[in-house]
Amino acid sequence: MLEETEEGRAERVPSKLGAKRPFLEKLTSEKYFKWILIAPLLVVLLAFMLYPFFYCVYYSAHKFDMVRPAKFIGFDNYRAVLRDVNFWQVLGRTFYVLVMSISGELTLAMGIALLFNREFKGQNVIRGLCLLPLLVSPLAMSMIWNFILQYDFGVVNQFLNKIGFSKIMWWSPKMALYTITFLSIWQWTPFSTFVLLSGLRGLPKDAFEAARVDCASSWFTFRKLTLPMLMPLIVIIILLRTMWLIRLFDPLYGTTHGGVNTETFDWMVYRVAFVFFDVGTGSALAIISLFLTIIICALMFRILMKAMGASK
Amino acid sequence: MKRIAFWMVIFLILFMFVFPILWVYITSIKSKADIFSLDFSKLFIFRPTTAHFDNLFNETPFFLEITNTFITSVVSTALVMLVSLPAAYSFARFNTGGGHLLFITISTRMFPIAVAAIPIFIVYKTLGWLDTRIGLTLLFLYFNTSFAVFLLFGFFREIPVELEHAAMIDGYGRLTILRKVVFPLIKPGAALTAVFCLVFAWNEFFFAFLFTRVLARTISVGLTAFWGSIEIQWGPMAAGAALAILPTLIACWFMQRYIIRGLTFGAVKG
Repeated sequence: MLEETEEGRAERVPSKLGAKRPFLEKLTSEKYFKWILIAPLLVVLLAFMLYPFFYCVYYSAHKFDMVRPAKFIGFDNYRAVLRDVNFWQVLGRTFYVLVMSISGELTLAMGIALLFNREFKGQNVIRGLCLLPLLVSPLAMSMIWNFILQYDFGVVNQFLNKIGFSKIMWWSPKMALYTITFLSIWQWTPFSTFVLLSGLRGLPKDAFEAARVDCASSWFTFRKLTLPMLMPLIVIIILLRTMWLIRLFDPLYGTTHGGVNTETFDWMVYRVAFVFFDVGTGSALAIISLFLTIIICALMFRILMKAMGASK
Repeated sequence: MKRIAFWMVIFLILFMFVFPILWVYITSIKSKADIFSLDFSKLFIFRPTTAHFDNLFNETPFFLEITNTFITSVVSTALVMLVSLPAAYSFARFNTGGGHLLFITISTRMFPIAVAAIPIFIVYKTLGWLDTRIGLTLLFLYFNTSFAVFLLFGFFREIPVELEHAAMIDGYGRLTILRKVVFPLIKPGAALTAVFCLVFAWNEFFFAFLFTRVLARTISVGLTAFWGSIEIQWGPMAAGAALAILPTLIACWFMQRYIIRGLTFGAVKG
């Protein structure tokens, strides 16, 4: 019986490796195979990333409004943008939202993940429900939040009024940016929570066992054991959220339309390029924001790779 | 005592996350007078009405929008999977491009959306692809590919390479290995990724808003139409939102089973 299979195998090997279909063999050799697999992706990247990128660089050196032919003006667009006070305001505001939102999300998510990381009745249903904000349309939800936080008839203000507080102007120039940040925290905390929760699930049990035997306080265990082991995941969360937050757009469209001191970077590009049709300046802005994100994310990617290497 | 505190916190969290979504559905069946009422009791006690849904079905191109959204998100997800499954496998198994290419792929997701939007808008204008389903589908393909590659990369790395080596020693060709060994193992991960892409495409707003006007308009763009110049029609908007987020609620139900395993990105191994 055993010999038979051995024979069968011996027969099959040469036929597979042999010269029956040399072309296919060559294609599936590692050298070519890996590039064939990746080819469709390269086409997508070329068409939707490399080409637009060079186009953007090209237009950023031109005065162009989609109607009249483009006129070469060198670095004037960049110069104008960098001298614009509004640009620096928007930049600062974007980073402000970034820091507030990510730190808020991480703190909340860590708390919730630690809470969820135990067995309780109906845990699957409750976790499933907590996933909801992540999946519902950000635009639809921002419009609903806009409604919920309306000054006169919004449910939150009516409730505040009922229990004796004064109504809050959620969309006033002073508050609106914080409200937007709150919306983004509301929407993305579940994401961070589930990433951290999956990390907590995968932690080795014996180290915690040892800590318990040594009567380490739970705060000490968290700080010295849990936190370092979750570091790679925390870096991933920060990386992804940075990338997504710089492109904050939907919540603005559903609420303030970029008014009342809430204009962030992507909204500015949208306004300049698609409302004022100043494609040249818009392209320059887009290129600037691209380089900013690349610098930030390359730094974080490096930290991430180091952290992942260390955890292995 | 500790148990009670635990459950109170859990319910507080649940309330924070679920309440706004619940409020969409409550508002969608309220009459206009009740929506604008300043009477606190009217918030929860009111006569339900289907007026907003009637309005939605009869006076707005709701069905066209839903059809557009459905077609573009399903087709784009299929395309995304076709592109990113082999690519992610190649990255995970052969380290193609020595990490740089993977970084570039992931970085498309951090491209300021406008960098792509401006040139593509001009190209689409010359091609006559503005306001078409093809154009939007291709944009969603671009929009989702890098995230899909990133997720799938993690899943592929969890498949031990020894399995493939064993199959290779048994004399199977690479294509057979892909079909018989790798594909069955990647199925749950691929399903999760596909659902993610579906949801992202379904919810996408920026591209849909810039690149469609009438014919290929998606449901998110349709919702903004209730934002009139004089007033915002909260009722029909809530009704539209209620129907627009319904499929994602179903997707959520499907995902909660996989997601705890799925979101580790292969970084921490259990």
